[in-house]
Amino acid sequence: MSQERPLPVITEQNRGYWAAAARQELVMPHCTQCDKVFFPIAPVCPFCFAADPDWKKVSGRGRVSSFVIFQQAFFAFFKNRLPYAVVQVELDEGPRINANLFDLKPEEIRIGLPVEVTFEKVNDEITLPQFRPLVRGT
Amino acid sequence: MTWDPRSKAAIAGVGTSQFARDTGLTTTQMISNALRAALDDSGLAIGDIDGLYVNAGGDFDKMAEQLGMKVGYAMQFWTHGRMCAPTLQQAALSVAAGLATHIACVYSIDISERGGGFGGGRSHGHEEYREGGGTHGEMAHYGLTHPGSGAAMAWQKYRHRYGATQEQLGAVATTTREHASLNPLALMQHTYTLEDYLASRFVIEPLRLLDCAVVNDGAVCVIVTTAERARDLRKKPVYIAGMDGLHAGRDEFVFAPPGLGIWQQPESSVAARPSRVYERAGVARADIDGFYCLDSFSPLVIFALEEFGFCKPGEAAPWVAEGNTRLGGKLPVNTNGGHLSEGMLGGWAHQVEIVRQLRGECGRRQITDARVLQFAMGQGVSNIYSNEKL
Repeated sequence: MSQERPLPVITEQNRGYWAAAARQELVMPHCTQCDKVFFPIAPVCPFCFAADPDWKKVSGRGRVSSFVIFQQAFFAFFKNRLPYAVVQVELDEGPRINANLFDLKPEEIRIGLPVEVTFEKVNDEITLPQFRPLVRGT
Repeated sequence: MTWDPRSKAAIAGVGTSQFARDTGLTTTQMISNALRAALDDSGLAIGDIDGLYVNAGGDFDKMAEQLGMKVGYAMQFWTHGRMCAPTLQQAALSVAAGLATHIACVYSIDISERGGGFGGGRSHGHEEYREGGGTHGEMAHYGLTHPGSGAAMAWQKYRHRYGATQEQLGAVATTTREHASLNPLALMQHTYTLEDYLASRFVIEPLRLLDCAVVNDGAVCVIVTTAERARDLRKKPVYIAGMDGLHAGRDEFVFAPPGLGIWQQPESSVAARPSRVYERAGVARADIDGFYCLDSFSPLVIFALEEFGFCKPGEAAPWVAEGNTRLGGKLPVNTNGGHLSEGMLGGWAHQVEIVRQLRGECGRRQITDARVLQFAMGQGVSNIYSNEKL
């Protein structure tokens, strides 16, 4: 097993998403025709099939809609993170995205937990959007 | 009026290789063993096979070359269990349309050879790196690296929504192993108590080791022919009575019933979209004598029972815990032991079991008077089989 962290491959389709993350911004593909934001990243709007979606910055806030806790590592890189949580977050704007949840013990995670985006820089090209519990009043 | 494919095709023969954690064989070697067994079962010779449909295990042309086949109609499907029933559907339609007469449908898996099993290292063609996530919801850069993660995500949501318990999920794991212990082909032969289940370690919480399929090597061959031709062959025909296709789109997630709200699925409390498989087979759901579903992870059994309407949303978990899916229960499920314990064969060993049940060949695990059996999995795909022409 490789010790390296598996990383997304940047393509013409997803470049805008990762470029925004590197600037510490969470963006979603956005339809210029019907104004919806959506995920996963796609070449057209999945709701109206309009071409050439652009990117829209979103609030970065949402709620945990489901989560799992890995107790076994399938890539060597994740071994020293065990146990680690992967959350599915429903953004306030609608789409659901996956990420890790920081600053909370895995056993304290609950569905419905309000969260906000934070960023984990991996290298010059890749910064991963991650989440942490929403601090009220901020 | 449209042409009706009901019971126009039948399964003439089934065969398997040995199932083992590591057979040390290539997929083509294992397929040759399964094909030989299926030919013996049907009474056909290799020269009678004029169609080759490969779900997994190699390239159709290399395979035909090495196995000495001369086929006039070959097809190559995607390397996934969800293509099992569609492969058989296409074979059934092809023989009914006269494009071929005897189609060998084959599947082989060699997870041991791939290294690391699913979800890590060089497993399964690096599917976890695909655009938008892997085919079971994987996203490796977040450590979401195993096909079970999609099922775990769905079960977490399901139990939150309906208050289902881990003990109820454990009933899937223990019942399936009970069935496997009656199947000489099954890799896992021992039974487990609920206490054993609850003591088994978490792999991807809330899923435990005993919620996950065995990882193995093996091959299956199913020979499909026309209903007329099947009647002249060695064994009693098993008719492909009704079919429903693989659904796809934002409402669908491979390891969650529609409406649960996993990944981009809209969340709704509405019951699953009704399946068309029953009307197409000309049966009622109550006519189903046994249910076979893809069970790589135990929540999938609960989800399939709801998706196909045997239970209302949220009611399958307690229903399984009451023992309704055991042999002798209201609806025996996966009497072969399924992926959880017979072996991970992409749904193909389920087809073998269905055929043997409908012929009455299953000994201690025989469903009494089995007449109509259903295979199904998430995303709506299903075949209904019968030993009578429905």
